[in-house]
Amino acid sequence: MSSKFSFQFYSTLAFFYRPLVFLFLNLTFAASVSSGMNSPNTSANALFLYRNSNFHQQDADPGNLDQDRNGVNIQEAELQFYSDVDPYTRLSLLLSIHPEYEKNKDGLISEKWIIQPEEAFAESNIIPDMTLKIGKFKAAVGKHNQLHTHAFPFILAPLINLNLLGDEGLSDVGFSTAILLPVTNWFSEFTLQYLRGEGTNTEFSSPQPTDGVGVAHWKNLFDLSDSLTLELGASYAQGENLYKKTTSLAGADLTFKWRPTEGGRYKSLLFATEYLQRTQAQTLVENEQGKGFASWLQYQFAERWAASYRYDYLVVKNSFNPANLPNDTVNRHSVGLAYIPTEFSSYHLEYDQKASSLMNPAGETIDKTIFLQANFTIGAHPSHSY
Amino acid sequence: MKISVVSFLVIVLFSSFSFGKIHVATTTPDLAAIVHEVGQSEVEVFSIAKGTQDPHQIEAKPSFMVRLRSTDIVFEQGLELETAWIIPLIQGSRNPKLLAKDGLIELASDLEPIEIPKANTSRAEGDVHPGGNPHFQLDPIRLGKAALLIATHLGELDPSHKDFFQKNAQAFQKTMQEKTKLWQARIKKTGITEIVTYHKTLSYFCDRFEIQCTIQLEPKPGIPPTASHLISVIEQMKKRKLNLVLIENLYEDSVAAKLKQDLPQVVVSKVPVYVGGDSGILTNEQLIEKLVQAFEQTTH
Repeated sequence: MSSKFSFQFYSTLAFFYRPLVFLFLNLTFAASVSSGMNSPNTSANALFLYRNSNFHQQDADPGNLDQDRNGVNIQEAELQFYSDVDPYTRLSLLLSIHPEYEKNKDGLISEKWIIQPEEAFAESNIIPDMTLKIGKFKAAVGKHNQLHTHAFPFILAPLINLNLLGDEGLSDVGFSTAILLPVTNWFSEFTLQYLRGEGTNTEFSSPQPTDGVGVAHWKNLFDLSDSLTLELGASYAQGENLYKKTTSLAGADLTFKWRPTEGGRYKSLLFATEYLQRTQAQTLVENEQGKGFASWLQYQFAERWAASYRYDYLVVKNSFNPANLPNDTVNRHSVGLAYIPTEFSSYHLEYDQKASSLMNPAGETIDKTIFLQANFTIGAHPSHSY
Repeated sequence: MKISVVSFLVIVLFSSFSFGKIHVATTTPDLAAIVHEVGQSEVEVFSIAKGTQDPHQIEAKPSFMVRLRSTDIVFEQGLELETAWIIPLIQGSRNPKLLAKDGLIELASDLEPIEIPKANTSRAEGDVHPGGNPHFQLDPIRLGKAALLIATHLGELDPSHKDFFQKNAQAFQKTMQEKTKLWQARIKKTGITEIVTYHKTLSYFCDRFEIQCTIQLEPKPGIPPTASHLISVIEQMKKRKLNLVLIENLYEDSVAAKLKQDLPQVVVSKVPVYVGGDSGILTNEQLIEKLVQAFEQTTH
């Protein structure tokens, strides 16, 4: 990506955002202060995970502790608070609690618990056809990046998300506007976001604080019939990286959803595929290239049962950090079975098989993992987007 | 050129006067049918849920957001029946009219809800609605009252047709009141005083027509029948000599075989519980008529 294009991209975003942000802040802060009489809606979610993998039986690299250890643990707990602030604004706060492993001063491995705001944003529909957002949120890059862990269709995120967007996906503090385009025959939404570029994603962490990340996403959903929908999306993101050069992301997603209007309680089918590519530049070396896709199928065959399959593919060339992102071609197959007693609880059994050039201490290159996950929600949890 | 501009303006103005209808959305087809009775040619109405869909479980499809963008008002049954999907749909529509205080109108709370839990409820009791049972669409008397409420809101949106809406609502209410007397007599004639249902969808119907329907095939609201619960239901049916099971056609009737095995004389009937739930059910009146016929067919 040329620097000229980069400049134009940011200039366009800045031109678009300045008046919106000004308006948003003014409207938000100009509203008279009135104490909220009602408590916010609250919900909590807990994910318990058992994992058994031939690649996580011991710490292969004592200097870099395995964070995905075998055994049973709390994968993540989530606390969510949301409510209307006033007639103009809604506020959502989502705290994530999860374990991390580190070595203490005696050289022993200890578990510590991380509490962090996964999302914390204010949202407003004060301008017709627009949703304005400010705060920390999951960037609109594809569909999967916007899901919370307990809503993942499989235990782990797709390889492209984990490797090209980071463990926690692309998430940062910034501004967003989602515009419902004036078409009447289908749903068409264009989202523009500006992130500060200081999140956990090192590929967008420029040493210069003024360097941000621009994100654009175009989502289209067509009703092919009352029972069948087709969603097509395209995403693009660009920002400065650690090397003061450009990182760019481009993605596309396609989803078919079928739920019959008669008997839809008992059967449904979903096919989704996401493509993502990332290019990082650095002075005097070849650009780092990472790209791949994930395609999955979920079939609900009874009121409480669903089966699923996913194929993942990732290829990385000219990696700037081969220790964390090896130059490799990775394939993964995942097969799952879900038992869903109610919308507030579910149990997932899954088998993953990942092939790469990485070797475990036993010399094996096929990572075979079995998971059993229990997922519970209490309180007034907002519904997930379609 | 001037003529064509004038013609264009005349067409636009004429169009806006001729087609200045109120655009209404409803969560269920039963409410859409009432809105159609009340508003007639002065409204354009569509229902988000279809008559064959369970309104507890509608998905918030973005295509509905597009339709809600040009909607003036939304009527819902309420008591948290549709909260999970109607709120995201309205927010996603980004329509200031619907996001305002009077954009979404809940009807059930103004229609003397029944089965309001006495103590604090928890999800251990299943999908219990803290405000009471929301399925008032099978009570013709409450439907008449709902028509009056709808007429009031439509009249606020279009004061020039306020009297028209009220007159239509009153006519609808009168028809429902008269039909109720006839339906009551027909059900009484069948001699059936107690039935079993799958979910508590028919509670208002039973309440109005003095039928007991305290036994459900679901062990708890929203929980599918279990083997042990079915045994308990069969025992109670034997004890109370019950012969009619109405299964709302949103649900599978796979338990019918088990019931018939233990109770050969039992009639298990799959019935629509929403307008559009069966072919030919286009009005609230036709829907209730169908339920009354299910009673009559049991005794023939």
